[in-house]
Amino acid sequence: MWDAALIAFDRFADPLHLAMLLAGVLAGTVIGILPGLGGIACVAILLPFIYTLDVHTAMILLVGSLAVVHTSDTITSVLIGAPGSAAAAATVLDGHPLAKQGQAARALSAAFLSSMIGGLIGTVFLTLSLPIARPLVLFFGSPELLMLCVLGLSFAGFLTGGAPLKGGLAACLGLLLGSVGSAPADAVNRYTFDQLYLLDGIPLVGVALGIFGIAEIIDLLAKGGRIAERISLGHGWLMGIKDVVQHWGIVVRGSLIGVWAGILPGIGATAGSWMSYGHVVAMARDREKFGKGDIRGVIGPESANNSVEAGDFIPTLLFGVPGGAPAAILLGALFFYGIQPGPRMVQENLDLIFTIIWSFAIANTIGAGLCFFLSPALARLTWIPFARLAPAIVVTIFFGAFQSTQSFGDIYAMLALGLLGWLMKQLGWPRAPFLVGFVLTKPTEQYLWLSISRYDFEWLLRPGVIVLGLLLLVSIVWIVRGRLANKSIPAEESSEGAVLLGKTPSVLFTFAVLVVVAAALYEAQSFPHLGAIFPMAATIPAVFMAAAQLIFELRADMPAPPPETRKKTKLALGYFISLAFYLVMILLFGFGIATAVFTFAFLYGLVGIRWTHASVYTAAMVSVALLMSWLLNLYWPEGMLLG
Amino acid sequence: MKRIQFKAGRAISRGLVVLGLSVALAGPALGAAAPYYEGKSIEVIIPFPVAGGSDIWIRTIAPYLEKNIPGNPKFSFRNIAGGRGIPGMMEFALKAKPDGLMLLVSSATNYFPVLLGDKAAKYDLRQWKPLLVNPVGGVMYVSPASGVKRVEDLAKAKDLIYGGISAIGLDLIPLISFELLEMDAKGVLGFKGRGEARIAFERGETNIDYQTTPAYNATVVPLIKEGKAIPLMSFGQLDDDGNIIRDPAVPDLPTVPEVYEKLKGKKPSGKFWETYKIFMPSAFAVQKILWVKGDAPTEVARSFYTAADRLDKDKEFQTKTDKILGGYPLLRGDRLEKTIRQAFQIDAETQRFVREWVGKKYRVKLD
Repeated sequence: MWDAALIAFDRFADPLHLAMLLAGVLAGTVIGILPGLGGIACVAILLPFIYTLDVHTAMILLVGSLAVVHTSDTITSVLIGAPGSAAAAATVLDGHPLAKQGQAARALSAAFLSSMIGGLIGTVFLTLSLPIARPLVLFFGSPELLMLCVLGLSFAGFLTGGAPLKGGLAACLGLLLGSVGSAPADAVNRYTFDQLYLLDGIPLVGVALGIFGIAEIIDLLAKGGRIAERISLGHGWLMGIKDVVQHWGIVVRGSLIGVWAGILPGIGATAGSWMSYGHVVAMARDREKFGKGDIRGVIGPESANNSVEAGDFIPTLLFGVPGGAPAAILLGALFFYGIQPGPRMVQENLDLIFTIIWSFAIANTIGAGLCFFLSPALARLTWIPFARLAPAIVVTIFFGAFQSTQSFGDIYAMLALGLLGWLMKQLGWPRAPFLVGFVLTKPTEQYLWLSISRYDFEWLLRPGVIVLGLLLLVSIVWIVRGRLANKSIPAEESSEGAVLLGKTPSVLFTFAVLVVVAAALYEAQSFPHLGAIFPMAATIPAVFMAAAQLIFELRADMPAPPPETRKKTKLALGYFISLAFYLVMILLFGFGIATAVFTFAFLYGLVGIRWTHASVYTAAMVSVALLMSWLLNLYWPEGMLLG
Repeated sequence: MKRIQFKAGRAISRGLVVLGLSVALAGPALGAAAPYYEGKSIEVIIPFPVAGGSDIWIRTIAPYLEKNIPGNPKFSFRNIAGGRGIPGMMEFALKAKPDGLMLLVSSATNYFPVLLGDKAAKYDLRQWKPLLVNPVGGVMYVSPASGVKRVEDLAKAKDLIYGGISAIGLDLIPLISFELLEMDAKGVLGFKGRGEARIAFERGETNIDYQTTPAYNATVVPLIKEGKAIPLMSFGQLDDDGNIIRDPAVPDLPTVPEVYEKLKGKKPSGKFWETYKIFMPSAFAVQKILWVKGDAPTEVARSFYTAADRLDKDKEFQTKTDKILGGYPLLRGDRLEKTIRQAFQIDAETQRFVREWVGKKYRVKLD
């Protein structure tokens, strides 16, 4: 085995291979930074080049880019609060508040360092487990995987902040949104309203970008000013290093959780980083700072999201079963070279496996190093008045949401969820449980379905299930005890635990939630058999919780919001309408013209910068967008009026 | 409108220039027109995501087509994923002009909604012309723990469990085979892919499985060598007259109808056999098809057939694409046109029968 490792390592002495690796790292870094663009966009850009290369060179290029996407996507998550990719949403929770406190450099350097170490630990673990990986994966049957998913869901309980009832409801809403589309066994289409778009469910990118990205952008715009006040950068990046050294235990545990989430098929990078975040909060003695800018909340998910990718290679290469979208693409590229990953891979293509592992490790290190040295400069972005950054970010987010499936449905969904996310934020509803619920719905339901239809209820007696069940019990007891002891509880920073909009909107929102879950419950009764279990499990408790919440709110004494809140709300709605306007413009005039008009009108009309500057900005924006469209071979439909 | 006219005008003038040049250069071969595809580019709609089976298939053969189609057109691709492939199919149905510059790749996923009468699938495959066809095969195998050692044991085998994705996808073929052969087998559906179903097989959660021939060769043959799997039968391929014959990729294995004869001592017949005959070809024998609109000029089809004939003799193409094509030849569309037309025709009675059967047995609600 070690000979193969050395032969593979030798490849990197070839300047061509090294250059390819660097090219991949650069492409991955840039694409990772852009919100909404992730591994898939990376490969779509690199794919045309790959067809001309030999298999090793192609793998170096591909893996090089995929290895750094989850490192650089942290940048937008931390600085703007818009997740660079779906997997980076967990980093937003604590990373973005840190940036607002002027500690962006600290958060970034801690993130990159833990990302790098996580990736390396993941690689080492991957290498060591090559000989035993197959039996390891085969040990986990559907029931055990189901229990792992449920355990992950229970972590949502730690993320509910100061509002357990609202948190529980948010998680249920996430589960409900996750069950939109055809049920796992295709028996029935749920909540699709005869819309073709909803058949496959709403893509994760759209949900993460909406609930965190759009909501955050609107909020920042309404607040006005910059993300952080200009203060001395100090030794922020040094502090980040110290943080990682101090919390080395979190790094190790986080990356091991990540590797596991990657190795087990069907869990995925996003679930992995949320599980890691959940475990950090669960294990912490003092939880009051989580969600308000606790550096541990950055280190946890960041050390997991790179090691997930490393772990992902096991099912991809040894079983031919990709764990996530990037791995699926890697698999596709291997097919292209006539290599069918599978049990034979270790015997026949061991050196190729090591080429992949080495590329991952080296690219991971270079990429993190690159981002690390960029972080002081990048942190300065938070000093720019946010309204000037906004058009560029909005255009990129729209672009990102559209490119994943090339369907306008994704943009509608993102805007609608953006409004929901903004309302949740203003009304003190935690958003993390919502996303956790959404992410874990599909695998949980799939494995529940498989467990029941394969084993009836005997699966409950399997030893693995019992062990994991006990772990789940401990986790639940832990949550309840924490609540009873009234331990200081984490709350999402932006909500400050309180309702910002006053009583009437709050009551109205809760009432709307009650109506939605009740309607969903009613509809669920028409679903046959197992297809109904999941929507029922989400909506029945939700109806009770929503009713209770409504009663609390009606009886509670809430102070009227100060007058500036009214102004802020109006402003926020105005900005939201401008985004909707942008969408309408795209529909009418096509993407190019709409982008130009939106960017210019926003900068000149709303922000009030000089028309010369606005023109230059607009021209740059449009040319970059068109260049990216061309690179991605993206097809924007012509506007209705210009067709 | 203006732009289109402008484009057309440019294309015509460019065409004239090219024509003039080639006439001037051709000299002795005076009168031979420039190839139809000279200086043109072809956009292929792929109703699946990047790096899916059909995506890899067309992207792999495209460079060879560029080289071998007279006039050397450039290929570009557009993936319209999601919605069970229906949005991508509709895009082609509505937007493609019959000029051979927009083509479509399709796979079994696109045929089953039509055969099952799904109302959302408003496209009519019979109005299009197949340019290239690539078959794929499927092999069923069992685990030794199931008690089945040979196909003869299937009659008395108990509690066979099969892992599948969806009763109205490719899994329909093995599920129909179970009914046809009257096996005591139960389908557990809801796996995310055939790969995950195979992991469940290796884990012992299921004990009967099938894989397409390329995946079978890469992932199941090693299991067979280790004694962890026993191959049973293939779903078969079609000959030129549309009869089911042994799969050339696994010639030692009997086909499903052969197994029926062995078990029952007579030729297969009945409703399940009718269903098998209708669904098997579109699932396997004519699985991947490159289409053009039916009323496209004859030069379009002729160009692709020329390329297919050239590739048939191209050693480099064959060794390089062997694994992607699954060991099957890249066939000219006209050779299989009759078979393809038949494959997408279903009588109302069989359709009703299948819908009722998947509804009752696998609780699939089709609207």
